[in-house]
Amino acid sequence: MIRKFIRAVGLKIAQTIGTSIKDFLSGRSLGRALAIPWRGKIHVIGLNVAVRPMFQPQKRLTYWKQEIIFTEHPPPDFPNIRKTERPSPSEITDD
Amino acid sequence: MKTVLNLILSHQPAASVSNMLIHWNRCVPNESILIAYGGTKREFDAIQHQQKFFIDDPRLRTRDHQREFQSYTRLFQAAAEFLEKQGDQFRFVHFAEYDHLPLVPDLNERQIDRLTAEGADLLAFHVHRVDGTNNPHFLYHVADDKFMSYWSGMSRRAEADVVLSMFGSGSFWNREAFCSVSALKEPFPIYMELYLPTLAHHLGFRVRDLTEQNRFVRALASEVDPIDKAHAQGAWTLHPVKRLWDK
Repeated sequence: MIRKFIRAVGLKIAQTIGTSIKDFLSGRSLGRALAIPWRGKIHVIGLNVAVRPMFQPQKRLTYWKQEIIFTEHPPPDFPNIRKTERPSPSEITDD
Repeated sequence: MKTVLNLILSHQPAASVSNMLIHWNRCVPNESILIAYGGTKREFDAIQHQQKFFIDDPRLRTRDHQREFQSYTRLFQAAAEFLEKQGDQFRFVHFAEYDHLPLVPDLNERQIDRLTAEGADLLAFHVHRVDGTNNPHFLYHVADDKFMSYWSGMSRRAEADVVLSMFGSGSFWNREAFCSVSALKEPFPIYMELYLPTLAHHLGFRVRDLTEQNRFVRALASEVDPIDKAHAQGAWTLHPVKRLWDK
């Protein structure tokens, strides 16, 4: 009970003072979260939507500064396919 | 002709199931209802409804559903066997948990119209693509190497790494999709909110979201409006409504 309460308070703080996170492609707001580097990892605290992290595409060949951004998948809209779309590996030619 | 099989999962006492059926009969024909029962055998025997079956499956009777990988596979298999015995009477399957309340008298017609308009095989709530994301169910499963290998090994699709998620309390299927999904043995425990839509997708079926109905189907009672208000706002169904049948 106390742990749940502390977590709820921590989340509220993260979602209040955290950085605003936007979908890189659409610009839609995904909420606020704290992004904290710790022991070689980045801890994202407070985000409650399913997002994909990725390095932002860059037009210059640099390693020294790169940006991790977040995107959402578009809503699932896959067609009905009742036959195999993928060829069997034995049917793939080298041409 | 009975077109839609309304498959309702309950574990409540027989008296509550009777109250539930009185409400459901305002929305769908009684003979279209099949009760899947996950409570005690004694209460099951006391249920006064002809079309019913008992499920004795520990994978259904989970407490921490996500961490214990709750499964509807056995339930769906039993329903598919029922469909088989009924011949061609049912063309669609509407699955609902006991606390997923129907609100409109033409519910099945609306569902059929929507499925047809979407060209879909499965309609569900909160359908999302979650592979590569921070979705906790996806992250919990992807920690096991078998998880993604399974989909890439069985998928009919060119993009075999797609993982879909849906809300598990209610869904609407055409018969072919329902029976195809039911026919496969779960390779290892996978939480049903990922397993069912992802399997249907990789078998080649079209899975679509019920978009504007999502706000009436939430995890917590505090997140949804009261029944009358939801109905006035256009809800076809409402979840969760847990205590209604106890009265």
